[in-house]
Order: sequence, then C-alpha cells, then structure tokens
Amino acid sequence: MTEQTYSPDIVVDSREAACPGPLMDLIGKVKVAESGKVIELKTTDKGSKNDVPDWLEKAGHELLEVVDRGDFWSLYVRKS
Amino acid sequence: MNGFAIVLSSDELERVQAVSIMSSVAAASDIPVDIFVTMNGFRAFDKEVIENADFNGGKAAEAMLNADDVDIPLYTEQLEQAKTLGPLSIHACDMTMELMGKELSDMVDLFDGTLGVAGFLNVAEDKQVIFV
Repeated sequence: MTEQTYSPDIVVDSREAACPGPLMDLIGKVKVAESGKVIELKTTDKGSKNDVPDWLEKAGHELLEVVDRGDFWSLYVRKS
Repeated sequence: MNGFAIVLSSDELERVQAVSIMSSVAAASDIPVDIFVTMNGFRAFDKEVIENADFNGGKAAEAMLNADDVDIPLYTEQLEQAKTLGPLSIHACDMTMELMGKELSDMVDLFDGTLGVAGFLNVAEDKQVIFV
C-alpha cells in the first residue's frame, strides 16, 4: 500500500459506483471547484481508474497521483 | 467539436444504458449532445416501464440488473445528473408519440420537448450522428 502524498481540498467518495459514476461525480466537483484545488477521487471501479486519466488529459486538469489502497484507488487531481 | 446527435430507436437496456453513459460523459465534458428518442426507444422512457422495471435486454442487461456488489444507476438517473452538468437535450419523436398514443406526461421527466424529423435534422446538421 502506498502512502498518501497529497492533502486534498475536496474528497469524492465514489466507491462501489460503476462506470461512469466516479467520473461523473468527479466532473461535478471539478466544475465548481476553484482553480488549483486538489480533489481526491476514491473508486473501486477498475475501468474508472483507467478512464478518469483520459478525461483529465482532454479536459486539461492534472492527474497528480494514483494511489493503490488495496481495496480501492485514490486519484489525486488538481483543477487547472 | 460540435457534438453528437444520437438517434435512440431501441428499448434494449444495454443500448439505452450505453447511450446514457456516452451522452452523460460527453455533456458533462461540455460536448453538446442531442438525443432523439424514436420508435422502440420511446418505450424505455415510459413511466410504467420504469416503475415496473419491465426492461428488454440480453446478457448484459441481466448482469446489470442483478449486480449487487456495485452501484449502477439506471439511465434515467444518469441522464438527469448529466443534464445538470452540461449541454444535453432529449427530444421525443412526434410521430412515435402519436403512433403509440402517448403524451410527454406519460414519460419520465427528462424530455426538453418534441421534434419531428425536420426538427431533428436541424438539430443534427452540425453534429456527428449516431444511430442506436
């Protein structure tokens, strides 16, 4: 298990939600967050773990880190 | 990117759910989406069908409905959420409504209005059209 290295301003807990739930939850938060804020997305969905970075790349936000927490992943995102 | 115009003509749960997923993520990403619900697609938005979970579909639909370890929101919930996040419009086909003897009040509250073919073609003229 990797230690958390970022302190999120906003936490989005989408564990147990299937695709596209985690991504939609994240987008909802990103849209209203201030620029520079760090958002942690918690997901148990493997597809979302791979899909969210693709969305971030297109949307222009920064994927800081993906942390494997054993039974879920934490994706740390900085809003551009 | 001018967006997508999706013709939904099927009531198979897998197809409707796939349309919902793609439309929702696109709209939430500020890509305009117009969904034109026509023919059998209309049935998927009938209040009675939703209330009775009277869905048509195959293996994927069965797996989705029986999934107890993951939370899979139904397409109606996804689309409702997506409409709050981005440019998503859902249009009911005038002809199908008349054919089926239905009114918008018989449908779930997701529609922006009704359109005929000419109206849909106007909406779709600058968009990529996807037929499902």
